[in-house]
Amino acid sequence: MKRRRFAASLGSCLLGRLGAAPAQGVETTLVVASFPDLDRAAQAARAQWARRHPDIEIKLVSRQIADHHTAMTTALATGAGLPDVMALDFRFVGKFGASGGLENLAGPPYDGMALRERFERYAFTQAINKKGELTTLPTDIGPGTLLYRKDLFDQAGVGEAELTASWDSYLAAGRKLKAATGAYLLGDASDLRDILLRAGLHDGEGLYFDADGHVLVESARFVRAFEMSLQAHRDGIEGRAQPWSNDWVAGLKRGRIATQLMGAWLTGHLRNWIAPDQAGRWRSAPLPGGAFASYGGSFYAIPKQAQHKALAWEFVKLLCADREVQLQSLRVLDSFPALLEAQQDASMAAPIPYLGGQRARVMWRDIAAKVPAIPVNRYDAVATDVIRDAFEQVVSQGVAVRDALRDARVLIEHRARWR
Amino acid sequence: MDATTPAALVAARKRRPLRARDVAPYVFVSPFFILFAVFGLFPLLFSAWLAVHEWDPAEGLKAMHFVGLENFRFVLTDPWFHRAVGNTLWLSVATALPQHLVALPLAAFVHEKIRRGRDLVVGAYFVPYITSSVAIALIFSTLLSRDYGAVNALLAELTRVPLLGSFMPDHPIDWLGDAHYAKPTVAFVVFWRYLGWNTVLYLSALQTISPELNEAATLDGASPVRRFFHVTVPLLRPMIYFAVTLSIIGSLQLFEEPFILVDIEQGVSQSVMTLAIFMYRLAFGEGDFGAASAVSWLVFALIVALAWLNARLFGREGRGE
Amino acid sequence: MTPKRPWLAWLIVALGALLLIAPFYFTFVFATRPRTEIYSSPPPLWFGLSARSNLALLLERLPYWRNLGMSLYVAAMTTALNLLLCSLAGYAFAVYEFRGKNALFALVLGSMMLPSFLNMIPSFMVLDFLGWLDRPRGLYVPAAAGALGIFMMRQYIASAIPRDLIDAARMDGCGEFRVFRSIVLPLLGPALGTLGLITFITSWNNFVAPLVVMHSVENYTLPLALRSMQVPNNTEWGALMMGSAIAMLPLLVAYFFSARRLVAGLTSGAVKS
Repeated sequence: MKRRRFAASLGSCLLGRLGAAPAQGVETTLVVASFPDLDRAAQAARAQWARRHPDIEIKLVSRQIADHHTAMTTALATGAGLPDVMALDFRFVGKFGASGGLENLAGPPYDGMALRERFERYAFTQAINKKGELTTLPTDIGPGTLLYRKDLFDQAGVGEAELTASWDSYLAAGRKLKAATGAYLLGDASDLRDILLRAGLHDGEGLYFDADGHVLVESARFVRAFEMSLQAHRDGIEGRAQPWSNDWVAGLKRGRIATQLMGAWLTGHLRNWIAPDQAGRWRSAPLPGGAFASYGGSFYAIPKQAQHKALAWEFVKLLCADREVQLQSLRVLDSFPALLEAQQDASMAAPIPYLGGQRARVMWRDIAAKVPAIPVNRYDAVATDVIRDAFEQVVSQGVAVRDALRDARVLIEHRARWR
Repeated sequence: MDATTPAALVAARKRRPLRARDVAPYVFVSPFFILFAVFGLFPLLFSAWLAVHEWDPAEGLKAMHFVGLENFRFVLTDPWFHRAVGNTLWLSVATALPQHLVALPLAAFVHEKIRRGRDLVVGAYFVPYITSSVAIALIFSTLLSRDYGAVNALLAELTRVPLLGSFMPDHPIDWLGDAHYAKPTVAFVVFWRYLGWNTVLYLSALQTISPELNEAATLDGASPVRRFFHVTVPLLRPMIYFAVTLSIIGSLQLFEEPFILVDIEQGVSQSVMTLAIFMYRLAFGEGDFGAASAVSWLVFALIVALAWLNARLFGREGRGE
Repeated sequence: MTPKRPWLAWLIVALGALLLIAPFYFTFVFATRPRTEIYSSPPPLWFGLSARSNLALLLERLPYWRNLGMSLYVAAMTTALNLLLCSLAGYAFAVYEFRGKNALFALVLGSMMLPSFLNMIPSFMVLDFLGWLDRPRGLYVPAAAGALGIFMMRQYIASAIPRDLIDAARMDGCGEFRVFRSIVLPLLGPALGTLGLITFITSWNNFVAPLVVMHSVENYTLPLALRSMQVPNNTEWGALMMGSAIAMLPLLVAYFFSARRLVAGLTSGAVKS
C-alpha cells in the first residue's frame, strides 16, 4: 500500500500534476501570500470563498515568516511578483504601511473607514499610517494577559488579587514564590521591561517616538521600566530564559517558570505542545498594575500593483470582517478575532478547560477594548533592538540605567535618520 | 621578446589577418560573460549605484534619491558598524586559524597513515559541509542548551573526574545565550562546518608531492614533525595561499552560521553580528538599502586589502619554482 | 605526531570524526522522534519509532517529492551548465592572451565579494524582465556563471595541462575548439568532478535565490520548502528533521560518487600554479 502510494506520488511528480486539480473553467486566480501559522486561516476560508466565487481559485503561497516579509519587500521594490493579498505580521506593519506600496483602503472603491467601528479600536489604529492612509485591515489580535500557575502560587499563599494589584506587589509575590517553591516568577527580566514600557501609555502616544519624531527613551517611563526589571533580575526571580528558547520551553514544562506576560494566544501553545500535562493548573489574569497592552497581531494588505484588487478586497473582507470566518480562524488557529462581532459571539463565553474552566475569552475581550491605540512607527523595530541591547548592558555589564538610556537615545537618533 | 606576450601578439596581429586563434578566446569566454554581465555585473553596478542613494525597497524603484557620500558617512560613524567589523575580524581569525592549523596536519596524517578507510574518514569530516542549516540550527541549539543540553550534562559529569574536574565550570554555561560564550561557540560551529572542506583541499595537494622527497628526508634522519615543517609545508605553499584566500573571502562574508544559531531578535545577537548580518539588518530590517550597499563596498575594500596581503605572504613566491 | 605513541594520533582523529559527524547523526535520530521527545532532556540518543508518522506529516504539509524533484533538476542543470561554461572560459583565461583579459578576470573575482542577498533585488528585476520568475530556469541560468568555478578551472588548466600538448595538437591542424574538446576536456576529469560536487552542494543548499524566484509552493526547492514549514515557535520538528534528513541523502551520494575524483581533483590545480 505504501509502495503504491509512493509510486503514485512519484508518478504524479513526474507528470507535474501534483496539487489540487483545477476547478472547472477557472479563469482568474487570486494569489494570497502568507506565512505559517496564519496561512491555515486562509486555507480554511477557501470553503466560504468557494461558495461566493466558485469560479475564482485561491492560490496560497506560504513562506517562513521572515522569508515572507523579505520576499514581499523584494516584490514591492520592483513592483513585480506581488500577490493580490499580502499577510503582514504586526512587527512589519509600521514599515510596510509607510512604504507607499500598499493600497489606501480608505479611499474609493474600498471605503474601508466605514468598517472602523466594527474592529478592535487599537488594532485599527495600527492599520493606519502616518499619512492617515488605511493600508491594512487587522485580522487577529493578541490581548496581553498574565498567565500564571495557580497551584504554585497557592503553595506560596499568594492570591490573584495580590499578584495583579500593582507591579510592586507582583514582584513581591515573586519573591514569596521563590522562597516557597523555588520557581521563577518570570522567564526573563526583559518580559517585564517590555510590558512596563507599554503600561500607562495613552491613545495616540508613541512607544519610542513622539509625533514629531523625537526619541522618547530617556523619559521616566523608560527609566522605571529598566529599574524595576533590573531589580527583578537582582532579586533572582527571573529565569534568564528568553521566550521561545529551549530553556524557556523546558522551564515551563518543568514548572520552573510560574508566570508569563504574553498575548492570550500563548494558552494554545501551552496546551498543545509546551505543557499539555499542566492542564487545569494555569489561569489567566489581567496584567498587573492595571496595564493594558497587546502582543502581536496579524493584518492583510493589498499591494498597489496587485492584479485583481477588487477581488482581493472581497477576500480581505472575508478574512477580517466576516463573523463566521473570524470564528473559524479562532477554532483553527486559536487566534483572537479582531472583529468585534466575532468577539461578541456566544462561544466566547465557553469555559477553557486548560485554564481550569475559566471563561477567559470574555476577559480577554474586555482587555482588548482597553488597550490604548498606539501609533506604529517605521523605526519601531530598530528602537526595539537598541533598547534591548541597552538593557542587556545594564544587566550583564552593570552599566548605569541613565547612561545606557542616553547612549540608546543617541544611537536611535543616529539610526532612524530619515524619520 | 616572447612570442606570446600581449605586445608581441598585438604586433603580430597587425601584420596578418585575423586567425581563429585570436577569435577563439572571445568565443570561449562569451557564454560565461554574457551570463555574468546580466546576473553578476548588473547587480554589482546596481549596488554601486545604490550606495550613493537613499532607498527603502518597499517604496518601489522610483523612491531612490541621491545622497552622495552620506551613506558612507552614516556607516563609518555607526557604532553598530564598528561592532560588526570587530565581530567579523574576531570570528575570521578565530575560525581561520584553527581551520588551517588543524586541517593541514590532519590531511598529512590521513595522507600518510590511512589507506583503506580514507574516503570514509574524510567523508566523516566532510559531512558537516553538507548538513542542512535547518538541521544545524536545531541540533546545536538543543545540544548547547544551558539547562538541558547534552554538552553541559557531559561537563557536569566530568566535574567529578579527579584532575580534569578542576578545570570544569561550576555552573552550566549558556553557550548560545551568553554574550561571552556566543562568539566562541559560533566560531566553533564554523570551524566544525568547514574543517572537512579544507582538509580535502590539502589532501589533494599532498597527492602531488612526490614520495621521493619524503623518503629522502626520512633517510636523512628527519622525524615526521621535522619532515612536515621543512618539506611538506613549503611545497604546499600555493595550496595554502588558495585555501586561505577562500577562507578570507568566506569569513568576511560570514552570515549563515551566526544567523541560524542566534535568533536575530535576541540581545546576544549583537555579539555575533557580523558585517553580513549587519547588512541584512540594514537592508531588510531598517529598510535602508543605500547604507547596506555602502557597507558591502566597504567590505569589498577590506577583502581586497586582505587578499593583497595574503598574496604578498603566500602568493607569487610559491610559483615559478 | 610522535612515533612512540601512534595510537594517540589515531584516537584524536577518530574522536574528531565522531564529533564532526554527531550533528548529522542526530538529524537522523530526531527524524524518527516525535516533537515532544526532541525537546526532552536528555535528548534521545537512538532512533525512535516515529519515522512513519513524521514522514506522513511531512507529506501532508508539503509537496515534498515534487520539491525534491525540483531541487534535483535545478542542481543538475546548474552543475552541467556551470561545468561547461567555466571549463570553456577557464581554458580561455589559462591558455590565451587577449585584450581585456585581466580586467575581466578582476571583475569576476570582484563579484565574489558581494553577499548574495544584496543581489536579490537586481536579479529579481532581470528575471522579471525575462519572464523567468517562478520557473526553474530562473534558478539555474543565473547560477551557471559561477565565479569560483572559473577561478578553479583557470588554475587547474594553467598548471595541469602542458602547453606542448596544445601546441602539438594545433600543429596537427586541429581547430581551436577541437583542441579544447578532444585534447583538453578529457584531461579535466578530476577538476570537473570537484567543481561539479561543490556546485551541486551549493545549488542544493541555496535558499536565497529560490526565495526570490519561486512563487508557488510546488516550485520550491527543498531548503525553501523546509523553511516554509517553520511555524514561529510551533514547528513540527520531527517532520522537519525527516525532511532535512532525506534532503541530505543525495548530497552524500554525490560525495561518495566523486570522492575518488575529488581527492585527486584539486591536484596541481591550485598547487603548482
